[in-house]
Amino acid sequence: PRARDAPSRRSGAGAMQPPTGPALASAPESAPGAAPGSSLLRWQWREVQAPCLVAGWILVASLAKIVFQLSKKVTSVVPESCLLILLGLGLGGIVLAIAKRAEYQLEPSMFFLFLLPPIVLDSGYFMPSRLFFDNLGAILTYAVIGTLWNSFATGAALWGVKQAGLMDEGVEAGLMDFLLFGSLISAVDPVAVLAIFEEVHINETLFIIVFGESLLNDAVTVVLYKVFNSFVEMGPVHVQATDYLKGVASFFVVSLGGAAVGLLFAFLLALITRFTKRVRIIEPLFVFLLAYMAYLAAEMVSLSSILAVTFCGICCKKYVEANISRKSRTTVKYTMKTLASSSETVIFMFLGISAVDTSKWAWDTALVLGTLLFILLFRAVGVILQTWVLNHFRLMPLDRIDQVVMSYGGLRGAVAFALVILLDGAKVRAKDYFVATTIVVVFFTVLVQGLTIKPLVKWLKVKRSDHHKPTLNEELHEHAFDHILAAVEDVVGHHGYRYWRDKWEQFDKRYLSQLLMRKSAYRLKDEIWDVYCKLNIRDAISFVDQTDRATSALWLCPACPSGERESGSGACLDLQVIDTVRSRRDKEDAVMHHVLCGSLYKPRRRYKASYSRHFISPSAQERQDKEIFQQNMKRRLETFKSTKHNVCSAKSKARLKKDGRKKVSSLGVAESEACTYRASPSSLLAAAVLVAVDSDDEESDSSETEKEDDEGIIFIARATDEILQGKKASGSLDVCPSPRIIPPSPTSAEKELPWKGDRGDLAVYISSETTKIVPVDMQTAWKQSISSLESVASPPGAEPGPHAKTLAGPAPEERHMMPEQRTCFQFPNPLLRSSRPQSASSPERTEQPELQPLMAPDEHGRMSTSAGPSNSRWLIQFNRHARFSDG
Amino acid sequence: MGSAHSMPEEIQELADKTGFTLEQIEHLHRRFKQISGDQRTIRKESFDRIPDLEFNPIRSKIVRAFFDKRNLRQASDGLAEEINFEDFLTIMSYFRPMEMNMDEEQLDHFRKEKLKFLFHMYDSDNDGKITLQEYRKVVEELLSRNPHLEKESARSIADGAMMEAASICVGQMEPDQVYEGITFEDFLKMWQGIDIDTKMHVRFLNMEPIAHCH
Repeated sequence: PRARDAPSRRSGAGAMQPPTGPALASAPESAPGAAPGSSLLRWQWREVQAPCLVAGWILVASLAKIVFQLSKKVTSVVPESCLLILLGLGLGGIVLAIAKRAEYQLEPSMFFLFLLPPIVLDSGYFMPSRLFFDNLGAILTYAVIGTLWNSFATGAALWGVKQAGLMDEGVEAGLMDFLLFGSLISAVDPVAVLAIFEEVHINETLFIIVFGESLLNDAVTVVLYKVFNSFVEMGPVHVQATDYLKGVASFFVVSLGGAAVGLLFAFLLALITRFTKRVRIIEPLFVFLLAYMAYLAAEMVSLSSILAVTFCGICCKKYVEANISRKSRTTVKYTMKTLASSSETVIFMFLGISAVDTSKWAWDTALVLGTLLFILLFRAVGVILQTWVLNHFRLMPLDRIDQVVMSYGGLRGAVAFALVILLDGAKVRAKDYFVATTIVVVFFTVLVQGLTIKPLVKWLKVKRSDHHKPTLNEELHEHAFDHILAAVEDVVGHHGYRYWRDKWEQFDKRYLSQLLMRKSAYRLKDEIWDVYCKLNIRDAISFVDQTDRATSALWLCPACPSGERESGSGACLDLQVIDTVRSRRDKEDAVMHHVLCGSLYKPRRRYKASYSRHFISPSAQERQDKEIFQQNMKRRLETFKSTKHNVCSAKSKARLKKDGRKKVSSLGVAESEACTYRASPSSLLAAAVLVAVDSDDEESDSSETEKEDDEGIIFIARATDEILQGKKASGSLDVCPSPRIIPPSPTSAEKELPWKGDRGDLAVYISSETTKIVPVDMQTAWKQSISSLESVASPPGAEPGPHAKTLAGPAPEERHMMPEQRTCFQFPNPLLRSSRPQSASSPERTEQPELQPLMAPDEHGRMSTSAGPSNSRWLIQFNRHARFSDG
Repeated sequence: MGSAHSMPEEIQELADKTGFTLEQIEHLHRRFKQISGDQRTIRKESFDRIPDLEFNPIRSKIVRAFFDKRNLRQASDGLAEEINFEDFLTIMSYFRPMEMNMDEEQLDHFRKEKLKFLFHMYDSDNDGKITLQEYRKVVEELLSRNPHLEKESARSIADGAMMEAASICVGQMEPDQVYEGITFEDFLKMWQGIDIDTKMHVRFLNMEPIAHCH
């Protein structure tokens, strides 16, 4: 069946999209209309054929990628593009064997209209713009002069070979034909370069020069190709001087026009995304649509479409990224990468398949060898000459090794192939020879050079790029640096590149950003700030990942992460979005999740199950959070007033302490061991935390005191100076207030909450500064527990020790709070419960050994003091015997 | 040294000292006279004559660096009241691009010199350490162009950067250890990732004296 359907697909591939739409639309209608009642099922291959084949091929290519990646050995040596081409060759062979003729070719129109734009957009959008503009001079030189030189030299040299009589008689080509061929064969191909160089990881400067060249030379290629093509069609005799002038003029029109179209659409795109606040869901669409429109618009008026998309991508990114939401940003990124990657895959595979079609081939050894020799030779000569000139102007000269890599990295690819297929066989009589040569050249550069460039780079010890993420310090220094250099240029009076960049940035800040960015985005737009936020998120993620190991420590003190979070910036720590909590693979987590979702929370409001195509509704989890948060806030505010007077002194004292320690700081908190988490909250809370839970048999089932110690082991973590400094966490806490974007966080109500169980011997004291942003599940749990405690709280200020509270009569609402409380105390300890019998040495408690040394010899005395609100130590005690004896 | 350029041997001497070519010195001298208003020395106020400098957020730091005696290699402390042309050249020589024929040791020295200049800019009280206070000041100034970011943000950024510096430079800290500030060694460590020699230079040739200086 494949063979029969093949021809129609070929015709469809050229103008793929137009037939697709109608075919899809008509399919459902035709089904009942055509065969009423005759059959239940009907074979409708014709209707779905085109899109089905497209999807099928993409699927094949993607599956192939998976297969390639199975073997690390192969992919580390052979670039993926090579493998794909080889796969294409194989598939093409199969198709040829079955169909008896070559099918599924790489159609130029399909290539230019559908396959190329995603790749160019991807590379433009994610182009490191700073690097690009820093090296723009070199890139332009190589792209314009280099390409011109290559095409003319190659064309002329081939013509010379022909004149010398070395070529077959069948190659009927004059000077113009060879120049035409030279123009299409000499352009370095962005797809091939990207595919190979991304795997090689050479240093950024070198990469941006080669890659930038491959993108920007499109204008030259297009112009040369068109000019020579028209010359060939007119016949060399009729070409007049004005035509040459027109050719030169058209270069400027095509290149500058293309760039202008790109800029125009970038401006539009940025402007549009400014107003998408209410239609977040289609935000990413605008990016793709407008970029594609830019491509098509440029193509329509025969400007350089690659330039248009490249510039559109480079220029819009800053504003678009600032305007669209984080989720949209992720969507844009992934969609773009997906599209580009699949296009690339398909391109290489189809290159392989197309090469099998021998009907288009006409082999001439002299032409093939000559072309190969000349493109390598002239590329090298061109690079060396241009670099020699450029090095006089460049502050950072390109050395020999760079030049070798640049010469060798001049890969040809699908653009050349598509262009050569586009030639009119009637006018260019040597077309078949050119096609064959182009295929050989493309295969040679992608396969041979692509395979060898990695070892070459290694052998030459080319400076590789070091993939490290920017640190905050680096970003700060770089910024300072820019200003310093701009200032020195001012002082020297030389208006160089930096001067203009400085001017541009001022202009951008003052007018452009204001026009194109949302007010909220514009205000917070600052690169240093961005890096800061990013780093904080990274820390937060690594912190949460770390909690894998220290999970149980968190149970004891669920507020810990808030300390971490706060030390970062409250601004961007929406962990729910990042969803890192899932990384915890513990059984405990699953159980806890169940408890939280199932039994803990009963929403007050009923949410209708709703579906909206236009909005992503906040998940149930989010809503629950919100509601719990609001409830807690209310309660807290109420209790806050009563406890405030106690708290003030404690807080201020702690503040002082922390100020002194501000410099003792480390971002490594997240990486340090479990006990760090215990220390950090201590300073965060800035008040005594005493969790003295006495567990008797009845309570222990459901309370945190599962950590019951028959021997009366007391775990005390005190926020004494040594501990704090040891953990280095303290500095980070009040040092990093998250300014202005803190989500409505609970006031820092610190409470000392005596809680008395229905049994007189159970007492829980908890003081906590409210959590800011904590991983969701823990946050919920912690707040829940706090709030339930608060409801039975009484100001503890006057109480000397825990026992005074046990004497207080049960609060009226206490009874009905109890069940809830039990459930919430349950959450941390599903595993522990089982280990309760030997809980004295419960191995699950990772923090236990670390805490033991901190045990104070006079725990009872300390306990009673730390219960006082003015004490900044916090203490957790799990001991019922000690409690009994104390009382 | 207003008359310096009239005496060839003196220019030669300057050229040897600072590594500039005669032509560059000629250019710089013309510029020097523009800034100083045909005086022999430049004072702080003279920099007001450069209009473009006005918008530079860390302008004061940069201007100060010109008068820093550490940078002028005169003394290990203090600020100069005014600088003459030779001092001016000394400062400018920090921004010279490296030459192709330098060997490893020279390159290293060259790099360190540049970094020292930067370090002195941060370390305003000259105690060999960039303390948190100093760092905060710089960050505040850096961010001062953005009116919407408050001082709080600048502070927290500086604090974050300081913490990061501590974790990079010291690694795991002892319990009682206090990270007082970034020393020059730490500073070098932090700059390891960045090729300063590829960045910290300015083109001195082909300068056109700019008319709108006054």
